[in-house]
Amino acid sequence: MGRTLRALAVLVAAVLVACVPLVVTSPFYLQIYTFAGLNALVVVGLALLFGYAGQISLGHAAFVGIGAYTCAYCTVTLHLPWLVAIVAAGALSGAGGLILALPSLRLKGHYLAMATLGFGQLMSLVFVEAVGVTGGVNGRGGIPFPSLGPVVLRSAASLFWLVWAFVAVAVIVAYNLTSARPGRAMRAVHGSELGAQASGVDIVSVKVRTFVLSALLAGLSGALYAGVVGFVSPSSFTLTTSIGFVAMTVLGGSGSLTGPLAAAVLLTFVQYLDSLIPGLPQAAASKLQTYQQDIYGLAIVLVVVLAPRGLAGAWRRRRKGVGTA
Amino acid sequence: MTELLQFLIAGLKNGAIYSLVALGFTMVYAATGAINFAQGQFFMLGGMLGAAFVGAGLPLPLAALAAVLATALIGAVFELVAVRPIGDGDPLRIIMVTIGGSVLFSQLALHVFGPDTRSLTTFTAGPSLKVLGAAVERQTIWIWCLTALAVAGLALLYRRTMFGRAMRATSLHRDAARLVGINARAMVTASFALAAALGAVAGLAVAPLTQTSFQVGSGVAVKGFAAAILGGLGDPAAAVAGGLVLGILESLTAGYIDPTYKDGVALIILLLVLFVRHQGLFGGSGREKV
Amino acid sequence: MRGRTLKLSMAMLIAALAVSLAIFIGACGSKKSSNSSSNGSIKVGAIVSLTGSYAALGQPEQNTLNMEVKKINDAGGINGKQIDLMIKDDGTDDAKAVAAASELITQDHVVAILGPTGSSTTMAIRGNIDRAGIPEISMAAATPITNPVDKLVFATAWPNSVVVPFTFDYLKKNGITKIGAITDTGGFGADGLAVIKAAAPKMGMTVVDSETFNPGDTDMTAQLTKIKNTDAQAVLMWTAGPEGTIIAKEMQDLGMKIPLYGSHGNGNLQFIQGAGAAANGVKFPAGKILVPAAYGKGSAGYTQATAFITAYQAAYGAAPTTFAGHAFDAIHILADAAKTVSGDVTAAALRDAIEQTSGYVGISGDFTFSPTDHNGMTPKALVMYEIVNGKWTLAK
Repeated sequence: MGRTLRALAVLVAAVLVACVPLVVTSPFYLQIYTFAGLNALVVVGLALLFGYAGQISLGHAAFVGIGAYTCAYCTVTLHLPWLVAIVAAGALSGAGGLILALPSLRLKGHYLAMATLGFGQLMSLVFVEAVGVTGGVNGRGGIPFPSLGPVVLRSAASLFWLVWAFVAVAVIVAYNLTSARPGRAMRAVHGSELGAQASGVDIVSVKVRTFVLSALLAGLSGALYAGVVGFVSPSSFTLTTSIGFVAMTVLGGSGSLTGPLAAAVLLTFVQYLDSLIPGLPQAAASKLQTYQQDIYGLAIVLVVVLAPRGLAGAWRRRRKGVGTA
Repeated sequence: MTELLQFLIAGLKNGAIYSLVALGFTMVYAATGAINFAQGQFFMLGGMLGAAFVGAGLPLPLAALAAVLATALIGAVFELVAVRPIGDGDPLRIIMVTIGGSVLFSQLALHVFGPDTRSLTTFTAGPSLKVLGAAVERQTIWIWCLTALAVAGLALLYRRTMFGRAMRATSLHRDAARLVGINARAMVTASFALAAALGAVAGLAVAPLTQTSFQVGSGVAVKGFAAAILGGLGDPAAAVAGGLVLGILESLTAGYIDPTYKDGVALIILLLVLFVRHQGLFGGSGREKV
Repeated sequence: MRGRTLKLSMAMLIAALAVSLAIFIGACGSKKSSNSSSNGSIKVGAIVSLTGSYAALGQPEQNTLNMEVKKINDAGGINGKQIDLMIKDDGTDDAKAVAAASELITQDHVVAILGPTGSSTTMAIRGNIDRAGIPEISMAAATPITNPVDKLVFATAWPNSVVVPFTFDYLKKNGITKIGAITDTGGFGADGLAVIKAAAPKMGMTVVDSETFNPGDTDMTAQLTKIKNTDAQAVLMWTAGPEGTIIAKEMQDLGMKIPLYGSHGNGNLQFIQGAGAAANGVKFPAGKILVPAAYGKGSAGYTQATAFITAYQAAYGAAPTTFAGHAFDAIHILADAAKTVSGDVTAAALRDAIEQTSGYVGISGDFTFSPTDHNGMTPKALVMYEIVNGKWTLAK
């Protein structure tokens, strides 16, 4: 696909997503789509980190949590405007990313995974114990809706647009990063660190910047989550959450943004299958909901086994044909 | 003094459990280069199956044996059905499959055994023993014995049998092992079965103390993984050492600082070790495993 | 081999796209039958944890709700209208609880929500409830659920703010004024500890040492050793998890002679099975469902509880848990309130009627709500139990 064609496809996709609330009026469906967008925002960052810098993180739920609690604290306790709160959330989670990235840089593979996992577990403890800021296990409620100056975004449609606008901006930033010089550097890092280093790429700086960006995006997702749901508690930012993000990223396929985005949306939908399948009788829906997690687990296994390069890979290989794959 | 001894005993008890789980991680890592995220579920299955078999009327030793064998079988079947189709190479895909498998195992246990916690009786009844004023539960001694047995058995298997040598060869260099006629695929299956059996032993040994339920797997997996990393992935002896160090660290923190921060302090020390020594405490040189 | 994998993965991709498309189209056309109780049924939503860490609490709640709604409907319903109950699983997850609430409210147009099972999920859906203006009867117990009072939110579980003073009264009567507390850092224990610390000075109790542990911990020797080295006259533990059994067993191992008091979180068979012989002599406060004789033989509460226990046992092959009792009270308080509404059962009318609940005789106790009390329980709902030879008995 040519460059213009690709740009056109992205534009069409963006317009289609933007039109969703015009067609779907149910606040419930819009909320699920909004949740999918919140996950997608984190996954864009992780896809950069994984696909282009070759790093994996098992602790990104912590950055989502930092963003969510920052937003809650700024709006509820400090009575700051929402725009200030979300900037603070992005800044703090980015700073957290920097603090973790600097010493972790020299770690590889599973040791890096363990370091991020350890950081995530540590932050889980902080969320529970820092009662003054986080409200402890009882969480923190009464978080106001996002507002842009005097305009309060309280309808399901406006929240949908807000979250997906963030996703769109993140995708554009990510796309520019990967197609411009820093992106080539990032891919080089994934390909061969030694080779990249030899050709003068500053690996350390590339890795740190990617990690910080991914942490920042996760933090923004958390801040948006706080506004959308109006309540945050430690149970939303656990290892399971982090692993879920990794699953979306890896199943989407390495070196792609559309694949992970699709996987984020699909795996979010799987969690709400009983409510999303149209015309499902109530008895069947109530049976289905006990097996939803099974389907989630099975979906992960099946995609890995059947689509070796993730969703993006399955798509690309069809277009290229068997011979060239 | 008695207090310190009591804390050390507690630390070694938990540490032994972490060691067994860490050994499971090490086995699969050696064979595939991947972290098996379903390892904690084998721990869960051991305890739950054991309790179910006892509930069905089997005497405890038989139920325990059956639970270990059944879990090993489940591990092997899981490898055959989900891991093997991936083929050689990509550890990341194996990790993903074990993540999916972990969710599935926990859900299956929920459907089959129900949501309630289950308990096992202690292997031998009776009051705890006194050592220099400190109490040692009988079950703790069982945990130590079983861990020691597992480690000794593994050492024998690795050093003295053809099968063990083949496994070691495969973990060192899969292609070379294949060239000399070793069935590398079978070795991967065997490593999953062994890891599952180790997890099951740990789950069984600790169930009389802590009870068990469909959701105990992921917590213990984190501890076991941490122990394996602390030791430096890949070496069974280091994994055991990593588990014991982690257990003692936690116990001393709980005793002398604050139990609330037990997990936190252990994690911070783990992170510091990683940042200073990238290959864990007992890991070899900087040589990367291919 | 490669060709087959490829075809399969393509098929899967197409299937995934098709499913998404179907879901999307379904969403566009989806207009489930709209709100109204006048078309013959009263729509009620329930959110329980059928999966995740609270599954053991949520499943008996679901059983009870299904059983009791069928009973009410078979007996003619509410003033001739049937209850149409929709139960959603929240997977013990905040976001899923919020989605479930928004589905029940905006898709199914329910007039009330029962649940959720947990405290965190209950607090999480507060925004949905307040924005929609529909009443909620939670089955969870954390203090912030009903204190401060939210106009719309009621609860049927025993709050720590009632149970702790009841326990202190009992301890004082038995000459115990110095306690060592050991609590978990999860929701139940943390809430309990806060109430214990706040109530102790007011009631002349001294907490000489307070220790905590994390859910999932396997060893409490450090904490218990510290309590042992104080002059505490009893250990008071506040946890609903299996860790309680470790505390009971390790106190024996450490040779601690002082008595162990638990909380209503220990009123389950799993505690007895897990602690074995160490459970003997453990005392804990709980409602009367565990030993129905506590209601007073022949009393209305006794008759109702024994009938419920028999029916539940027959339907599900096990005795109902205390959580089943919370669900029983939630649905019956709702049904009784709905019966007093004349005309359309709207959310607003139902809320007002629930607040009027007075002297409702339930499984967990007698409830009287008021504008300032949405839990409605008094210490009279509680009794102190002692475990003797693996059985619950009423402590003297």
